Amino acid sequence: MYENKYQVVRKDLRKAHEHNWGRLGIAGTWLDAETRVGIIKELRYSKDCSLCKLSKNSLSPNLVEGKHESLGILSDGMIEIIHRLRHDAARITEDWVNKIALKRVTDGEYVEIIAVVATVLAIDGFNDTLGWPRPSLPKLQGGIPSKKRPINAKKQLAWVPTLNPSDIGVGEINPYEDVRGVHIHQALSLVPEEVIAFFKLDAAQYLHGSEVRDFKKEYRALTHQQIELLAGRVSAINQCVY
Amino acid sequence: MVRESNTPTGIRGESCLISLADGFYSNNQDDLTVARDKVEKKLGISALVDAAGIIGIFDGIVKVADATGIPLEKDKSIASKEIRLSLGINKFHPDKN
Repeated sequence: MYENKYQVVRKDLRKAHEHNWGRLGIAGTWLDAETRVGIIKELRYSKDCSLCKLSKNSLSPNLVEGKHESLGILSDGMIEIIHRLRHDAARITEDWVNKIALKRVTDGEYVEIIAVVATVLAIDGFNDTLGWPRPSLPKLQGGIPSKKRPINAKKQLAWVPTLNPSDIGVGEINPYEDVRGVHIHQALSLVPEEVIAFFKLDAAQYLHGSEVRDFKKEYRALTHQQIELLAGRVSAINQCVY
Repeated sequence: MVRESNTPTGIRGESCLISLADGFYSNNQDDLTVARDKVEKKLGISALVDAAGIIGIFDGIVKVADATGIPLEKDKSIASKEIRLSLGINKFHPDKN
């Protein structure tokens, strides 16, 4: 990725994008490779969905009925989740998660869809901001979903089951090896491999957890203040209250 | 909807960085092109690339938070109590704060 742009894209950032993009073409924990790549296609296609625009502008997303403009390669449930994440995530409620999303996909699938969508938004968003072409679809590499669920994951903190850092089972993947395990790290912990991958990407695009509050040193071409200004603006535009 | 603030923070490049984030979400591609040029001119190409990284990852991570309903940590909730009250943020998702 980023051939001819090696001068301006940090090596760690390039490596993170190559790794995270490539793994979208491999089966995950609950979704096969075709579905993961299908999510990329649908997410990109969903940009101009008329139903989503109507819903976004309505007093409540529940007031609008209709059919999404979609590629039709994924199930209706997955399409609904992907479009909602893209266009109106701030108005997602626990009720919607339980009565809409989790009636159509399993909780593991739901969390993995969120992870794939967030990864694609992060990488596409990077390229869009710079006016560069988005990466072409990752190569389909097959594989079989492992369907391994953390034995101690339970509904305790969020609207989906999460794994408390003190509850990792013997022999299980530790999603918190390289992060502190704060709430945002726990959000995707029903699918540990997605926590590891997403926060490696986060460390490359934002800052590693150990760097966020290290104000003695600047790790980027932007200062901590400039970084947080941007992060705050993006969160405010998205009306994210976390 | 993000209201304009008349109170500058004094952070170098504040105006062009905010324009870059706003341009990313604008329906007018020209807004983003103009903002991109301003950031590059004011802060340099490396800063522009890093800014693009921040915008991208936060566009993704807010979806993680919103779709899972993850709440604020207790210490962050206490530390931000006053500012959340003054902004009225709690009215949106009282269950998450």
